[in-house]
Amino acid sequence: MFPTVSASGLTLRYGGTPALDDVSLRLEEGVTGLLGPNGAGKTTLLRVLATAVPADRGVFTVLGHDPGTAAGRQNLRRELGYLPQTPGFHPDFTAFAFVDYVAILKEMTDRSARHREVSRVLQAVGLSDVRGKRIKRLSGGMRQRVALAAALVGDPGFLVLDEPTVGLDPQQRMRFRELVAEAGEGRTVLLSTHQTEDVAMLCRRVIVMSSGRIRFDGTPAELTARAAGRVWSSAERDPGARAGWRTGLGSFRNVGDPPEGAELLEPTLEDGYLFTLDGEPVREAAA
Amino acid sequence: MRAHENHDRPDARDTGWHVDDEDLRAYVQGELTAPRLWSVDTHLVACDGCRRALAEVSDPVALDMGWARLDAELDAPRPGRVESLLLWIGVADHTARLLAATPVLRRAWLVAVSAVLLLTVAASSSLRDAASPTLFLALAPLLPLAGVAVSYGPALDPTYEMTVVSPVHGFRLLMIRTVAVLVLALGVNGLATLALPGYGLRALAWLLPALALTATGLALTPRLGPVLAPALVGGAWVGTLAVARATTDEATLLPFTPAGQVITAAVAVLAAVLLYHVRDRFDLTARARFGAADGVL
Repeated sequence: MFPTVSASGLTLRYGGTPALDDVSLRLEEGVTGLLGPNGAGKTTLLRVLATAVPADRGVFTVLGHDPGTAAGRQNLRRELGYLPQTPGFHPDFTAFAFVDYVAILKEMTDRSARHREVSRVLQAVGLSDVRGKRIKRLSGGMRQRVALAAALVGDPGFLVLDEPTVGLDPQQRMRFRELVAEAGEGRTVLLSTHQTEDVAMLCRRVIVMSSGRIRFDGTPAELTARAAGRVWSSAERDPGARAGWRTGLGSFRNVGDPPEGAELLEPTLEDGYLFTLDGEPVREAAA
Repeated sequence: MRAHENHDRPDARDTGWHVDDEDLRAYVQGELTAPRLWSVDTHLVACDGCRRALAEVSDPVALDMGWARLDAELDAPRPGRVESLLLWIGVADHTARLLAATPVLRRAWLVAVSAVLLLTVAASSSLRDAASPTLFLALAPLLPLAGVAVSYGPALDPTYEMTVVSPVHGFRLLMIRTVAVLVLALGVNGLATLALPGYGLRALAWLLPALALTATGLALTPRLGPVLAPALVGGAWVGTLAVARATTDEATLLPFTPAGQVITAAVAVLAAVLLYHVRDRFDLTARARFGAADGVL
């Protein structure tokens, strides 16, 4: 399959801090999850791919467009939908006016065609009924859906979503996941998240980042399988475990190298993620 | 369009006119342009007769498109006051929406600017024996500089990150907002100038410095950032005036003399040339905006 995004050797430092360290990846159609702890470089990678900030080194293309040239950057941006980590709004705008504003930024100057498109995306995210409400009067979940509608306007081929489910309650999160799953049909979506459930439910592929580098690149099942035979239960916190936490039943769930005779548990995606964070890179991403 | 003469299109909510067949055909084919398009949209909502006539002149596919367009127009809420005003004076609807999102056009900022200017004019007027309204002339150029600074950039534009990755050229957006802010700020300054009739043309000596400061602040923004650049330019202006005051006993400071105005005009032109030269750099985000200190790597 022809890759939507092809990146090689992306490196970016903020002062002395490496935010991206020689990152290479290829993205194809469907939803790809980007997991990692705070400071892993997820947001920086998304900002570079969205052309919000330039990398110090490395090259990438999106749908064949090279952002290294002014024309390539503009063509790339025409194919881009971007939902930043903390999307800003003009709070006095209505939901319709805000999405309309973003549509104008996407060069849709024909009023009728633009309004049809704005109505379409507001309907797609289930906000038709509140289209005339000011954004400052909408709930957090609704605002997030307004931001998603703004990212979807113009039917972009590459959708970049930076932690879109943060701050949403469980019901809103489920609704949002449905929307992202629908958005992933027929286009490439890169979804940064802290939530392994987001990845488990949405993504056909997952990338794990840590300290600006890619630590894992594969399917969610492969990430889960990394922790096979590495998860065990104990009554007390096991000091030899790479990670351990108390479960709702009061016992501890540990990830790492189990002691002899330990009660092994079936691994989850979260176990595979935690195991990978503390381990060596499994394989570098495809160049 | 024509007056209400077509009696075969009666309607309970008589609007006084009907859409003629030619316009209806253009409407269904998507060829009708604003503002006539808007009038037809509005009229079709109210006039049953014209809706039936629309069906008669349309092929089914084109008719569906026409209804879809009408639905979209009905979905669109009414624009706000600023936007309505801009539309009323003839600004294109997409430009009006871009301007309505400009922070500086907000009422609070305009009120604050007007208050500062009123105080300045009052202070200058109280010095009835002064040969030059120096305080007013010193302050007036800073207002458009500050206005442009707060109209664009990550610190005050909540949608900056979404804006910078949009295909609309950043420099074009900057110029649209700059022109709007200049019109507004220069208009306020101009009104304040009218309150100082005793000084004649000397009260207009703020205009060229205002253009020079604004253009210089913008030209330095890609290198210094949208906060530091105007701050430094404003500081340099105040410093220049302080030096001029310290080195002369004349009532009119050098920047407001004919020679000073020529120099200021030259600075404005040079800054404009430099600004054009660096226009592509407004398409990229300042790195400092997303530094490690944000904790959002």
